Amino acid sequence: MKKLIAIAAVLASTGAAACPELAVENAWIREAPPGAMSAAYGKLVNRGKRTLVVDGARSGDFGGAGLHRTVVDDNGISRMREGRLEIAPGASAMLEPGGWHLMLFDPARLLKAGDTVVLSLTCGKGAREFPFTVKASG
Amino acid sequence: MKPVRAIALALAALAALALGAFAASHWYAPKQRPQLASGTLLNEPRLVAAFSLTDHDGQPWGNAELDGNWTLLFAGFTHCPDVCPTTLGLMKQLDQRLQTQHTPMNFVFLSVDPERDTPAQLKTYVTHFSPAIRGVSGPRAQLDALCASLGLAYLKIPGASESEYTVDHSAALVLLDRRGRVAGYFQPPHKLDTLASDLAGIVTSGT
Repeated sequence: MKKLIAIAAVLASTGAAACPELAVENAWIREAPPGAMSAAYGKLVNRGKRTLVVDGARSGDFGGAGLHRTVVDDNGISRMREGRLEIAPGASAMLEPGGWHLMLFDPARLLKAGDTVVLSLTCGKGAREFPFTVKASG
Repeated sequence: MKPVRAIALALAALAALALGAFAASHWYAPKQRPQLASGTLLNEPRLVAAFSLTDHDGQPWGNAELDGNWTLLFAGFTHCPDVCPTTLGLMKQLDQRLQTQHTPMNFVFLSVDPERDTPAQLKTYVTHFSPAIRGVSGPRAQLDALCASLGLAYLKIPGASESEYTVDHSAALVLLDRRGRVAGYFQPPHKLDTLASDLAGIVTSGT
C-alpha cells in the first residue's frame, strides 16, 4: 500500500500533473533595464495527441509572470491583454515581440545577456519547466 | 535701332528668359518627395503647439529642443514588457545604422506614465538601450496637449491594484522635422532596413 501511495505521489509531482507534450524552441528573454519588466519569447510546440492550453508561467527569478498578447488595433493603439493559447496536436504557437509573450515582472536579480532563467509554463493544473536564455536588447 | 544693338538686346532678353525659366524650375517647382517603403509623410508638416516637459536629466524639454535636427519620437511607459522595449531596441539599432550613413537623428521616448516614470527612472530605462535616446515626460496637462498635437493617444487601464495599472498607447513612431513640426508617421511592425532607408531618404531630401 505504501508503495502504491509513493508511486501516486511521484506521478502527481511529475508526469500526471505536467505538460509532457509541450516543448519550447528558441526560448529567450529580453535583457531588461535594472528592475524593469521583461518578456519571454519562443516557439511553443505541442508534440502530443491532445490539444494543449497554455495559460501562464511562473519563475523563482520573477515576482510574477503571465501570458499576454500585444495587439495594435485599427487606430494604431497598442493594447496588452491576458490570454491563453490553445495549441492543436502537432501544431505550434509563436511567442514573439509585438504579439504573444510571457510578461515577467519584479525581477529577483539583474539578468544579463547570456544568463539562463528557468520558467515554468502552466497548462491548467500542469506545468513544465524550460530554460530560457537572456539576450541583449536591440 | 541699329541691327547690332537690336541683336544684343534680343540676346539679352533671351538670356533673361532662360535665367528666369531656370530659376522657376529650380526654386518654385515642387520638391521631389521620397518614395517610402513604410510610413506616411504628411503633405505639409504640422506645427506642434507649445509644450513644456522635463527630460531624464531633469532639464526643461520643449519645442526649442526639437529645433535644428530631425527627431523620431515614441510614446510609451517603462512598465511595459513588450512593445516599448521592442521599439527602444529598434531605436538603438536605427541610431547605429543612421550614424554609419551620416544621417543625423534624435531619438525621444515620451513617457505617458509620469506618476511612475520619474526622470531618474526614465534615465535608467532609456540609457539601458542607448545613450542616444532621451526620455521625457511631465505634468499630465502638458503631456495631453503634446500628445494631441502629435496625434497620439493613450489610456490608463486599471489593474489588480492602484499601482498595477497598464497603459494602452499609440504604437507609431512620429517623425518631426528640423523645425520641430510633425512630418510623418511609421506604424509597426517595423523593419530595421526599411525604416533606416526611408529615414535616410527623407533627411537627404530635406522634405
